[in-house]
Amino acid sequence: MELFDNLLLGLSTALQFNNLFYCLIGVVIGTAIGVLPGIGPIPTVALLLPFTFGLEPASALIMLAGIFYGAQYGGSTTAILVNVPGETSSVVTCLDGHEMAKKGRAGAALAIAAISSFFAGTVATVIIAVLSLPLAALALKFTAVEYFSLLVLGLFAAVILAHGSVSKSLAMVFLGLLIGTVGIDVNSGIARMTFGVPALADGLDFVPVAMGLFGLAEIIANLERPAVRQVVSQKLRDLMPSRADLKAAFPAMVRGTFIGSALGVLPGGGAALPPFTAYALEKKIAKDPSRFGKGAIEGVAGPEAANNAGAQTSFIPLLTLGIPANALMALMIGALMMQGIQPGPQVMTEQPELVWGVIASMWTGNLMLLIINLPLVGLWVSMLKIPYRLLFPAIVLFCCIGTYGISNSAFNVWLMLGCAVVGYFFIKVGVEPAPLLLGLVLGPQLEENFRRAMQLSDGDPSVFVTRPISAVLLGIVAIMLLAMLSPAVLKTRKEALAE
Amino acid sequence: MTLRLFKAALAALALGSAALPSLASAQEFERPVRIVVPYAPGGTSDILARLIAPKLSEAIGQSVVVENKPGAAGNIGADSVAKAKPDGHTLLLADIGTLALAPTVFPDLTFNVQNDLAPVGMVMFAPYVLAVHPSVPAKNVAELVAYAKANPGKLAAANSGIGGLNHITAIALAKDLGIEWKTVPYKGGSAASRAVVSGESNVIINGATATLPFVTNGQLVGIAVTGEERLAALPNVETFKEAKLPLADAGTWQGVMTTGGTPPEVVARLNAELAKILAMPEIKDRVAEQGGSVRPGSPDDAKAWLANAIKNWGEVARAADVKIN
Repeated sequence: MELFDNLLLGLSTALQFNNLFYCLIGVVIGTAIGVLPGIGPIPTVALLLPFTFGLEPASALIMLAGIFYGAQYGGSTTAILVNVPGETSSVVTCLDGHEMAKKGRAGAALAIAAISSFFAGTVATVIIAVLSLPLAALALKFTAVEYFSLLVLGLFAAVILAHGSVSKSLAMVFLGLLIGTVGIDVNSGIARMTFGVPALADGLDFVPVAMGLFGLAEIIANLERPAVRQVVSQKLRDLMPSRADLKAAFPAMVRGTFIGSALGVLPGGGAALPPFTAYALEKKIAKDPSRFGKGAIEGVAGPEAANNAGAQTSFIPLLTLGIPANALMALMIGALMMQGIQPGPQVMTEQPELVWGVIASMWTGNLMLLIINLPLVGLWVSMLKIPYRLLFPAIVLFCCIGTYGISNSAFNVWLMLGCAVVGYFFIKVGVEPAPLLLGLVLGPQLEENFRRAMQLSDGDPSVFVTRPISAVLLGIVAIMLLAMLSPAVLKTRKEALAE
Repeated sequence: MTLRLFKAALAALALGSAALPSLASAQEFERPVRIVVPYAPGGTSDILARLIAPKLSEAIGQSVVVENKPGAAGNIGADSVAKAKPDGHTLLLADIGTLALAPTVFPDLTFNVQNDLAPVGMVMFAPYVLAVHPSVPAKNVAELVAYAKANPGKLAAANSGIGGLNHITAIALAKDLGIEWKTVPYKGGSAASRAVVSGESNVIINGATATLPFVTNGQLVGIAVTGEERLAALPNVETFKEAKLPLADAGTWQGVMTTGGTPPEVVARLNAELAKILAMPEIKDRVAEQGGSVRPGSPDDAKAWLANAIKNWGEVARAADVKIN
């Protein structure tokens, strides 16, 4: 069985002492930033990128991945105990999780959240392992034509699945595409929209933009809100959920895992989508939907499983195609490139110990998370007592150092600060910046592949529909568009997102 | 007794301080030295810089820091070295072949390659490998030319970026052979070799580091190599010279430069240390792993090489009419 060989190879990498150590660092940092509202995994990973250069590629990726899925665990702790989502992905956990806590069942809610996340993480690891090989084999057949069609699919999915109004996310994607054209054009070597500034020659660096739009802007917005952080204080001694709890939660866990896994693979899915979808589904199929919002255990188990599964399966497009499914995966590409590894299907065959090591580390990492989250939950909660006046200046400082460190460029620091202002404006007017970021990352690839496909086919656009893989991908886009325009779907989408 | 000892120590100290000035002039480096690598970490230049830095630090008694300043085909990093204080404390480790093309290819260049930068010495050379996808039925230059002539428009030559030496080489080669192929730019050498392995493009001319692994494992077919002699790994692949192709000296030429106007004795000291470092077996081995060989030489040799490259390759680039902005 090739699959088992690969998993064993991965485990032998993941279980090396130094990799276990970096995995632990990653999940601890991830839990910490997950617990703290206002700092998410994107700025954290961006911040740590320059420091991973000295590590082995596998260690670096294992640590960064740990931060990402660790944050999914930590985010739910804050959601349940404080009713503030530590991460966007744990918004829905607030609904029933905090209600459970108010009823004195905080321990059970935390335990169910952690157990669901662990279950989902384990299943998702297997799904990644099973899907990666055939997808990578398929990806080796990809040329510029197929990449273009896949990117089109990703961008449309980002718009349709985005949280909020379609027109706003469409506008943000186009803004991202537009900003993505800044810099020297690969095909002609002409500088576009650089205004003679040499620092713009290679385009706007993605990391400072991400840190400004997400990290700093979020902090500015948080400063406005009064720091209401009333922790539900109660003894968490009875962590073990009852048999009845587990019985009620298990089916929701399974459903959440599969929803999360499917939505995580989709390019452009974003962090909010899997838990929202899982919650909507649980509410829909429940015998008594009125229990939801009043402490239904399924309302914790389903979304928690979904967000963790989604976080992990979003690695599939990265590992197999070299295409980022979301903003965080784009940072992972940056981490790979810093190690001199060009992400793409060839990584799977050339560096199997890296790919499978990262996959296997997700399982060891989830096990660590279960241990550090359940018994140590009190410690994490006490972290919420750090006053913002100490925390925020420290974050701003680290963001500046991190941004500067990526390419020793002061320009990037200014770019980040500028993006912070723009990001604050976006929060004020209620637009999600995630589609913009995706447009910025995928836009240059979209253009490059389109023009290369055209150059190779002597300007004949029919290649996009005559090559089978590309035709299928574009077909899916067409179906998505048609479905979008049908009034019935529009209505359900509105309802689903209104939850 | 103790007082006498103290006095003696004082006297020795006074003597020592009198002798200090001459010592100080030998100690040219009074603060940390930076090696600027004008590309992202992980490439050949970066690996070389990180190999050389600790050895140089040992030799000059100062810490040596590697700094990556990527962007604009290396011109941003080179510009920062060109505009640094001319005291030999800021070094550039880069592909000098690409730098030699810059004045021709980038008319808006913000520095003068020959005046604002001073060569310290060459570091290594890695030859180019001309290879094709197995679907192209050719095993040597003659067969490739025959195929190209019989199937016009079928060949697409991938390069690692517009205006790079391998792009210019592809254009010059087609011109010389009287054949036609599309030149398709990619972002970097590894993306280009991947595209040729997948069959998206079907010809590649690029450094041995990126290309050789694919040729040795059979995913690409080697046609010719640059450099004076055949590659040990590809004994059956003819050289450009044997096949009477132009640009037989093209390849990856890595070298160290410093700011123009740096006192010659400082450059000489740096060159001497560089020569010692390049003679170390561990360094030679690592360079060989990168598909190349060390090329120690005097600053004047490097200067002459640069002038020659700017003239010759510049002519080829002008003839090919590659110009950016």
